[in-house]
Amino acid sequence: MLAATFAAVAVAAPAQAGPLPISQCTTTSGVILVVDFGHFGGPRLRACGSTPTTGYQLLNQGGWKTEGTGHDGPAFICRIGYSGHQSGKKFPTPQQDPCARTPPATAYWSYWHADPGRNSWSYSQLGAMSYKPKPGSVDAWVFGATDTGGTSGGPRFSPDSVRARNTTPGGGSSPRPSPKPSKPAATKPGAAPTTAAARPGTSTSASLAPPPSAPPSSSVSAEPTPTASESSFLDAAPVEAARTDTGSSAPALVTVGLVLLIGAAGAVVAKRRRAGG
Amino acid sequence: MLSGARLPRSLHPVAWWLWAIALATAASRTSNPLLLALIFAVLGLVVTARRGDAPWARAFRYYLYLALVVVGIRVLFRIVFGTGVTADDHVLLTLPQLSTPDWYAGIQLGGAVSVEAVLSAAVDGMRLACLLCCIGAANTLANPKRALRVLPGALYELGVAVTVALSVAPQLVESVQRVAKARRLRAGRARGIRALPAIAIPVLHDALDRSLRLAAAMDSRGYGRTGTATPGSRRITGVLMLSGMAGLCVGVYGLLDPTVPRPLGLGGLAAGTLACAAGLVLGGRRVSRTRYRPDPWRWPEWAVAAGGTLAAVVLAAGTGYDPAALNPSLHPLQWPTLPLLPAAAILLAAVAAFAAPPPPAGPARITAPAREPAVDPV
Repeated sequence: MLAATFAAVAVAAPAQAGPLPISQCTTTSGVILVVDFGHFGGPRLRACGSTPTTGYQLLNQGGWKTEGTGHDGPAFICRIGYSGHQSGKKFPTPQQDPCARTPPATAYWSYWHADPGRNSWSYSQLGAMSYKPKPGSVDAWVFGATDTGGTSGGPRFSPDSVRARNTTPGGGSSPRPSPKPSKPAATKPGAAPTTAAARPGTSTSASLAPPPSAPPSSSVSAEPTPTASESSFLDAAPVEAARTDTGSSAPALVTVGLVLLIGAAGAVVAKRRRAGG
Repeated sequence: MLSGARLPRSLHPVAWWLWAIALATAASRTSNPLLLALIFAVLGLVVTARRGDAPWARAFRYYLYLALVVVGIRVLFRIVFGTGVTADDHVLLTLPQLSTPDWYAGIQLGGAVSVEAVLSAAVDGMRLACLLCCIGAANTLANPKRALRVLPGALYELGVAVTVALSVAPQLVESVQRVAKARRLRAGRARGIRALPAIAIPVLHDALDRSLRLAAAMDSRGYGRTGTATPGSRRITGVLMLSGMAGLCVGVYGLLDPTVPRPLGLGGLAAGTLACAAGLVLGGRRVSRTRYRPDPWRWPEWAVAAGGTLAAVVLAAGTGYDPAALNPSLHPLQWPTLPLLPAAAILLAAVAAFAAPPPPAGPARITAPAREPAVDPV
C-alpha cells in the first residue's frame, strides 16, 4: 500500500529534465505537478516540468525539495517543500512526523497519476523514483490517508481542472475556470488574492515565486487555502533551490569528548572495583 | 537512613528495569547518532559500576556483540537492496545491478550505494542496537529471581517460567565458558567445526542437569503448589486470564489499525482488562505468600528510576529544543547537532552509577560449594 510512494529503481534522471514555467506545459508535452498542502492549511501548488523525467525529479527541481525517511532512504517521499511556500518549509514538519520510520498509511503523501486525456486519478503502482510520467500527464501528491487498494483518499480535484489546456507552449496556460468558481471568495473577501491567482488570463506564475534576493516569507503571504475554493491553484514558478551547508562539526566533537570522558570514568570505576574486590 | 540506603546491597530490580526501559524509550525516539552514542556511554558506565558477580551479570559484553551484528546486518541489507540514489548523493561504490521484471518493479538489487544510505542504515541499526543494549543492561544489573516477587499472585507460575527462560541465555554463556576452560586445561586441540561436539554435548548435558536441579529445588520449596484452590476455581481463573489476554490483544490491534471501528478496539481493551483483573484477583486469592528478606525501595531506587524516566520524558515531549534535531536528515549530508536538553537528560541518567548502592561483595557467592540454583524463597 505504501509501496506507491516507495521507489527503489534509481534511474539517474535524464540530463534534460528540468523545471519549466507553467506556460510551457501543453496537452502533449511537459508534466504538470500538483501538490496539495491543504492538509497543512496551505495552498494547492501547480508546477511544470520537462520530460523525460521521474516523479522524484519533478519534486526536486525548480525550488521543490523532498525528504525521505531514515529507514527507507530518499526514495520514500516523507516531506515535500517548495521554496516559495513558507520559505521552503517542508511538510509534514518534524513535530508532525519525525520521518525516521515509514509513515502510517493514515498520514502520508500519496502519489496519483492521470495520463493524457484521462479525467480520473490512478493510484501510483510505482515509487516516485521508478515512475516516468508521460508527456502531457498530471502527477498529484496528496497528504492524508488512503486505503490499501488506493481507491479512497485521492485528490479532491479532477485532473482536468489542473491539466494544461494550451496546445502550443507559451499560450494561456491556466486551468479551466472551476465550475463553481468563487463561492468562498464571495463570502470571504480575504481570499481575493488566491482566487485571482487561479483565474485565467491573470499573471499567476509570479504569485508564489520569491524574488531572488527578497526575504523569503514576504511573497508567500497569499492567504492559504482554508479559504480557497475547491479547485483553485497557485502556480509555482521555477526558482533556484536554496543552498544548504554541511553544518558545524563541533557538536560531534563535543559528543566524542563526552563519550571519552564517560569511558574514562568507567575505566577508573572498573579498576577500583577490581582492586577492592 | 541515608547511610543504610547506601550500604552494599542489590538495588530493587524494578528500579533497574524502569531505568532501562525508560532509556530504551528515549533511544527509540531519536535517530541522532550523537544522542545514541551518549546513551551507549551511559549504559556502559552504569553497567561497569554497578553490576554484580552473578552469572547473568557477565552477559553485557555479549549484548554489545549482538549490537554490532545488528548494525552490520542493517548496513548490509541497505547495500544489497538499494533504496535509490539522488543527484546530490555521494556515491561510495556501484554494485552490479540485478534487473527485476516489470511486474516486480520497485525492488532493486545492487546498484549504486551512496554514503548517505550507508550512514542512515548505520544510524538506524544503532538505534535498534541501543534498544537491545538497554534490555541487556537491565538483565545484567537486575536480579531476575528477585524480580519475581513483584508479580501478582495469579501470574506466579507464568512469572516463574519467564524468569527461568530469561536466565537461560546467561547461564548458557557461563556453561560454554566453563567447558571451554576445561578443554583448554586438557589441551584440547580440535578447532572450528570439529570442536563442536566436544563443546555442545557437555553444554547440553549441563543444561539438562541444571533444569533437573532447578525443578527439584523448586519442588522442595513448594513452587507450583495449588494450595486450597478447587479444580473449578482454577478452571475459572484460567478461562478468565486467557479470555482477558485475547481481549487485550484484540483491543490493542483494534486501536492500532485505523480500519477497525474504534468502539470495537476500546470495547475489546476494556473487556480484556476487566477479565484479566478478575482473573488476577481470583487467582491471587489462592496463592498466599510470605515475605522473606523483602527488597526495600529507598531513595536510591527513586533516584535511579527518576533519572531514566526523565530522559524518556524529555525525548518524548519534544519541547524545549528543536524536535528536528532528534532525527537529523542525512540528505544533504550534514553534521548532526547536539540538542542540549536531551543530551543533559541522558547524561543525568548516568546518575544511576553513583546513586545506586554498590552491589554486594561477590566472591562468597561465586565459590558457593553447592551448585544448587539459587531460587530465592519468594
